[in-house]
Amino acid sequence: MTQRISKFKRFVMMNPIIQFFKFIFLSIKVLLIVAGGHGGTRKEGY
Amino acid sequence: MITVIFCRHLLKYFRCQIQRAMAKIVILGAGISGHVAASHLRRKLDKTHEVVVVSPNSNYQWIPSNIWVGIGRMKSKEILFPLAPLYKKKGIGFMQAKVTSFYPEGDNETEKPFVVAEYVSAEKRGQTERITYDYLINATGPKLNFEATEGLNPGTNKAYSVCTYTHADHANEGLQALIAEMKKGKEAKIVIGTGHAKATCQGAAFEYILNVEQELRRQKVRDKAKITWISNEYELGDFGMDGMLLSYGSNIMKSHEMVEMVFEDRNINWILGAGVNKIEDGLAHYETLNGEHNSIEYDFAMLIPSFSGHGFKAFDKHNNDITEKLFKGFMIVDADYTPKPYEDWTVQDWPETYQNPNYKNIFAPGIAFAPPHSISKPRKSPNGTEIFPAPPRTGMPSGITAKLVADNIIDSIKNKKEFLHHKGSMGNMGAACIASAGFGMTKGSGVSITTFPIVPDYKKYPDTMGRKLGKTFGEIGLAGHWLKLMLHYAFIYKAKMKPFWYLIPE
Repeated sequence: MTQRISKFKRFVMMNPIIQFFKFIFLSIKVLLIVAGGHGGTRKEGY
Repeated sequence: MITVIFCRHLLKYFRCQIQRAMAKIVILGAGISGHVAASHLRRKLDKTHEVVVVSPNSNYQWIPSNIWVGIGRMKSKEILFPLAPLYKKKGIGFMQAKVTSFYPEGDNETEKPFVVAEYVSAEKRGQTERITYDYLINATGPKLNFEATEGLNPGTNKAYSVCTYTHADHANEGLQALIAEMKKGKEAKIVIGTGHAKATCQGAAFEYILNVEQELRRQKVRDKAKITWISNEYELGDFGMDGMLLSYGSNIMKSHEMVEMVFEDRNINWILGAGVNKIEDGLAHYETLNGEHNSIEYDFAMLIPSFSGHGFKAFDKHNNDITEKLFKGFMIVDADYTPKPYEDWTVQDWPETYQNPNYKNIFAPGIAFAPPHSISKPRKSPNGTEIFPAPPRTGMPSGITAKLVADNIIDSIKNKKEFLHHKGSMGNMGAACIASAGFGMTKGSGVSITTFPIVPDYKKYPDTMGRKLGKTFGEIGLAGHWLKLMLHYAFIYKAKMKPFWYLIPE
């Protein structure tokens, strides 16, 4: 095993309070990307 | 007397007009794509139009949560519900049957186009029926082609799958039996990945390997297991999408660096460029991209099979075989299928409306359409074996493409002419992959990756590996698990068509 994630980073990844805000941020970001639209690619400047 | 005759004729005339205006839309398949199409069609079309779903499955299943069923942290009944009562309540016709052949021009007996379906439900098993349609949506998804790999059959040779909830249940039984042996001191080898040189869905295997690893830690037997990832990818993190460059916190990194970091941190070994070709009891044989033939022993394996079309046949009105006008393995749609070298591939090759070019009232969203080519760079071993992932089409693009097909059909019916204004190429569409990396409200983890576009557009984004940075990002942590769990409940709510279900995006 090679430790590739530092103890501090792991603390941030698993801290429920920090992760709660991350959860809100991620939910909005994912929603914006997914609901942000889609379309064709065959028109000029799509 | 004259008045009565006049009234009868008038009634007949109006009946004819109503029948002429009424459209019948038949949807083959009740997975994510078929169910999304059916639910939107039913909501937006009035009841004079008929919506019929034909599926051999009696249940709807939320496939992304199979991962948790496969490690015993969720029951299969939590990810499925029966379709018939819901469809009855919502006014959607339902036939538990599998389609065998297509007659897009009708035939001598039936003027309208139709499909032939064979019932699989207990009361009508084996009976066939012609189902006529005005519009046909083929959302049959892939056939899980286990037979393409010798000896790969879920639940045998200690090899399992998590592609369906029954497979996931079996996988969990196998895993728990192994964990029980490990608690008695057994040292175990676990192999997870792809079970064929051209398999896809690496994301599901990626989730499963991380969940199994965490489950072993939870049950305090991690030190007794050697876990190996085996895949047809050239690099880790390819995921059948040619890898990606993504934002990770304040850094920009390649997906293979991110996955490598996670695997090394979790002590997971990997074998890449491996085309698994034969499974024996506890032994997987594979060929590598450098042409070597190797094998790996295991006590438990979960290997994703290759996907293929269902082998449907199609006939014209004179009963001549016209299968090649409809199918190329999967269904032919408005993609550019001209064979070209990898360097000449563009996003314009990918379909926009999922309409069959020969029969304009047939559509194939989701996984049912034939992709123009892979997304990952094709590679061959010196022996000529193609070893690279087939293009993935996950739940999100399946839902989006199904909705746009439904919207085009609705607009065509309402405008009484072909209307294809709704478009959604995978080259101009984002997707989120919230990969579970372990279950638990406080100990869980998830790798959240979004990518835009799904098919890299190297002309539009030449310096960022074909993707838009910012919209292509990765995050690892507990929030990812909560997000995946939230999506599980949200999408089951949506699939059950509960109040305001349509406000939840695909």
